[in-house]
Amino acid sequence: MRKAKPLPAQDIKPAPRQAGLVLDAQLHLLDRQILDVDGVPVTTVDDVELSGPAPGEPIPEGTEAPHITALLTGAVLGTRIFGGRPPSSRFIRIPWEVVAGVDTVVSLGVRANSLDASWLERWMRDQIIAKIPGGRHDPE
Amino acid sequence: MILNDLLGTDVVDSTGQRLGEVSDVRFALDAAPAQLLSRARMVGVVVCPRTATSFLGYERMDVNQPWPLAQLLRWRHRGSFLVLWEDIAVMGPDGVRLRSEFTAYESTLPR
Amino acid sequence: MKRLLGVALGILTAIGGFVDIGDLVTNAVVGSRFGLSLAWVVLVGVVGICLFANMSGRVAAVSGRATFEVIRERMGARAGLANLTASFLINLMTVTAEIGGIALALQLASGVSYMLWVPFALIAVWLVIWRVKFSIMENVTGLVGLSLVVFAVALFLLKPDWGSLASQALHPSVPSEEGPGTYWYYAIALFGAAMTPYEVFFFSSGAVEERWKVKDLVQSRINVLLGFPLGGFLSLAIAACAAVVLLPAGISVTTLSQVALPVIQAGGQLALAVLILGVVAATFGAALETTLSSGYTLAQFFGWSWGKFRRPAEAARFHVAMIVVLLAGVAVLATGVDPILVTEYSVVFSAIALPLTYLPILIVANDPQYMGKHVNGRAVNIVAFVYLVIILVASVAAIPLMIATGAGA
Repeated sequence: MRKAKPLPAQDIKPAPRQAGLVLDAQLHLLDRQILDVDGVPVTTVDDVELSGPAPGEPIPEGTEAPHITALLTGAVLGTRIFGGRPPSSRFIRIPWEVVAGVDTVVSLGVRANSLDASWLERWMRDQIIAKIPGGRHDPE
Repeated sequence: MILNDLLGTDVVDSTGQRLGEVSDVRFALDAAPAQLLSRARMVGVVVCPRTATSFLGYERMDVNQPWPLAQLLRWRHRGSFLVLWEDIAVMGPDGVRLRSEFTAYESTLPR
Repeated sequence: MKRLLGVALGILTAIGGFVDIGDLVTNAVVGSRFGLSLAWVVLVGVVGICLFANMSGRVAAVSGRATFEVIRERMGARAGLANLTASFLINLMTVTAEIGGIALALQLASGVSYMLWVPFALIAVWLVIWRVKFSIMENVTGLVGLSLVVFAVALFLLKPDWGSLASQALHPSVPSEEGPGTYWYYAIALFGAAMTPYEVFFFSSGAVEERWKVKDLVQSRINVLLGFPLGGFLSLAIAACAAVVLLPAGISVTTLSQVALPVIQAGGQLALAVLILGVVAATFGAALETTLSSGYTLAQFFGWSWGKFRRPAEAARFHVAMIVVLLAGVAVLATGVDPILVTEYSVVFSAIALPLTYLPILIVANDPQYMGKHVNGRAVNIVAFVYLVIILVASVAAIPLMIATGAGA
């Protein structure tokens, strides 16, 4: 790997102040727990999907900045750890529109059961756990 | 595009000189509120000359304990800077190329 | 009084770290070979686990986040998965050993072969996890496990030469018939057992199960400061009993019945009965702790719904994972492997899991986003950082020492 040329310190200018909440994706989003509107864990933020730009294509000046379209979960966790990339048809998306807040956890404004991300939990509940006696009762 | 395509890829200037790796992507929630939260607009990328590994939270100015850890990580990430979206010419899994007249900003988060 | 009854979580957590089946035997092995010359390690371990368990409990009470959520969030997916794999294997090996341990203790009591007790132990552990409320579970096993204090009583009844025991403990030296390699191997094994990561996974998740909030921080501290020193005390009492009876007799410990010898010599059948009760409760408690820990770590890494405060149907993957772990443990036992030997190799995985567990706890306990004004104080940070260095050194040394000494043989 070629060695990077460090910029002279005086060339680094003080950052412009951003209005509104500032999120660094790696720091504030990736790997955080996602809770639904009732506080039930749904999944973790395994990756984040952006709108545009076309990868590797020159970006014309004045192009509108990309924004977060969805939080991703599922197979993207495996490829993030071991490399590669699943086809985007395999992404399990939690659209940004249902995200209600970002703090130590990402909270959603909807119930877990309404999301694709909870299909395995629902499947295991309905096919295994609910069929064992006592599975639907509070512990005593 | 997904974040993992971007994190850890090389950043070069318009002449092809390598400046470092993408260590984080910064967003701002400053648009008019949509349904629940406003849109998260991409502000730019944080470039680290040495490593794209995580800063473990010490990129925030108010986090500096335990002291030896904070010093170690800040030293590993010294020379990091923020480049705004406007200064990005090409972006993708093969790396990020900046425009010829890009501006480097301090990347530390104020709070 | 309510405060004192609320320390069961600390006691149960400490039982898994200090007097589970593997530790019962290891402590007796150490006592019978090294006397009390390794007592200082237990002390160092107790201080370390108190420090970090208190931090993990504080993070859980203030932010509501259990330890493995914090590990995944701060260390990222890759290091998180490395830790998950190592911790999961430790949990699985310990679950296997504890189910075997329950069965061994019942064999000691009944004379009926332990293999016949294994299915019984499995079903009992699962039923508690499936149906019993967390608070009842921790109170019963924690309280009954206290009958292991019989080791301390036995030590008094044996009327040992206290001066010589004290001088072994205060002026530690490697016994002439042992090499420095084995001495340090056992030092690391004892330290690793005291600080074994499933303790913080269980303690912090237990804090969430009990719905601790900021006002319960005192409660958390009492739990830590009573539970772990008590565990360390029991572990020292076992080693001392072995040092007084087994060391002079030249008995090398390999089985649970040899661990019981000093107690029988001191207090006869009654003491043995109390001991068996204590061992059953302790191994049962450790089985619950490690089974739940394997569920907690998996669920928190992948973001599944978890917890005994929910109905099983509301934490389906969590319960399925624990059923799989229990069945896997019994499958391992069915091969006829000695359950006590199983835990011996968990030292290898501790070398990976320990640093990757305690580093993120320390970092997040200093993060104002999680902790607000309850971040670590300066003194805690200094001591914790020293411990982090000790943990790293122990981790690096563990595997070479294990190979060089043939696992302390």
